Amino acid sequence: MSAILVDARGLEPPEPFERAMEGVADLAPGGELTLLIDRMPYPLFRILDRDGYRHEETVRDDGVVEIRITRP
Amino acid sequence: MSSANPGLSYEDAPPFSVPLRYFLTAPLFGIAAGALLLIDGSALGSRWSPAALGAVHLVATGSMLQVMLGALMQILPVVAGASLLTPLRTARLTHPLLAGGSVGLSWGLWQGQPGATLAGAALLAAGLAIFLLAAALAFRRAPSARGRSDTPRDLRLALIGLLVTAALGVILATTLARGLSLPIDLPALVNLHAGWAWMGWGAMLVAATSWVIVPMFQITPAYPQRLTRVWAPSVLILLALWSIAAIASLHGTGIALAGLLCALAIGFGATTLRLQARSRRSTPDASFLAFRLAMTSIIAGSVAILGSLVTEADALSLLAGILILHGGFVGVISAMLYKIVPFLAWLHLTQAGIKAPNVKKLSPDLPVRRQLITHAAALALLLGAVFLPLLSYAAGAAVMLEFGWLLGNLARIVLAWQRAGGRWNPAAAAEGEKYV
Repeated sequence: MSAILVDARGLEPPEPFERAMEGVADLAPGGELTLLIDRMPYPLFRILDRDGYRHEETVRDDGVVEIRITRP
Repeated sequence: MSSANPGLSYEDAPPFSVPLRYFLTAPLFGIAAGALLLIDGSALGSRWSPAALGAVHLVATGSMLQVMLGALMQILPVVAGASLLTPLRTARLTHPLLAGGSVGLSWGLWQGQPGATLAGAALLAAGLAIFLLAAALAFRRAPSARGRSDTPRDLRLALIGLLVTAALGVILATTLARGLSLPIDLPALVNLHAGWAWMGWGAMLVAATSWVIVPMFQITPAYPQRLTRVWAPSVLILLALWSIAAIASLHGTGIALAGLLCALAIGFGATTLRLQARSRRSTPDASFLAFRLAMTSIIAGSVAILGSLVTEADALSLLAGILILHGGFVGVISAMLYKIVPFLAWLHLTQAGIKAPNVKKLSPDLPVRRQLITHAAALALLLGAVFLPLLSYAAGAAVMLEFGWLLGNLARIVLAWQRAGGRWNPAAAAEGEKYV
């Protein structure tokens, strides 16, 4: 089991997407990645869904979106 | 989840060729405007000179309108969920009509040929009618709201501003060509047309897109909601009241309302500058600096208009026009193009499953910085030419260089996209009948 944190806050598009995809590529089976980002990344969800990753989003009180991505 | 910052959904974005045709045509009209200044030294002598009217429309309808409609075709589906039914067909119809119309209109105004002016205005009106119809249908099918953003509502309001601007333009062109009996004198009608073009269409669209683009690409805090909620509706209401005051010849009321419109423009510019000052970006890139210059120009131009409301000095109107049109709009549009085009190139490569180069590799900062320095130099020369007419030739050459360089930089990004594997046809083919 591996846990990765990708903090993509304060980055200009498309860098958050690129960092998230690099992190996802490093995930071992069963591993989890937590992504912190300033807005809801719909394009990323589309890729994650296509590639079979599970993701769960919560919005923190400060507006930051926290996404937990797991590799089945 | 509903309290998140507004998200963007790129899956509805049209093929790259749709916005790109507008973006690559726009600089050609800018080059033509510079050439006109170079040929006809009278352009910066008075806002009423035929050369000034020709140059203004080369920039406003030839260059700015192309970029604005191209950007709208991109942004409507992405931020407002309003997908045009047939983006390719809409682009194929509107793009040549706008280009041909701008040539006719500008030529007719410059050369004093009412027939060409009217023909140009008719082509422009036809192109805009198709675009506005397609946009209205797209909005009808769009979900009612997405997140907390005021952008979708303000994009709708901007399209109303565009409709009024175009209608006033057609009335003006018809009056010049055929002679119409109007309840308002011609200079007042020209002021209404310019006022709606500036605040009702241009500033409204820039503000609506800035609510999203500035925090996202310039890494600033979000615009205060107390501003974004009321700014665009206030502009539209004030413009309507100002128009009624002009038609009713209520001069004092008209001046007060125009002053309030200037205050709204200054408020938008000042808020954007304040947000930029709080950016989390470690080093400002060229686009960031250009946006800052543009906001400063909008504030200075609005102050010049305030001055022109209480004095008869033609120079103030000219300064306001140059500051707002060239310093403000051309600056903002260039800064946004340098964000939008590389991002779209990256997006279309990624969506095609191609490992895209870094955006900074698609569009290196140095040529952008140099081009934007030329833009600033052209602005300085244009402003100087108001007081020293000989400078207008140098200003014309600088404007030609500025837009030529912009075209070169945009072409460089497209070539980098092609080298990385970007193709015109597969994207459209893969998306099937959705894009016809």
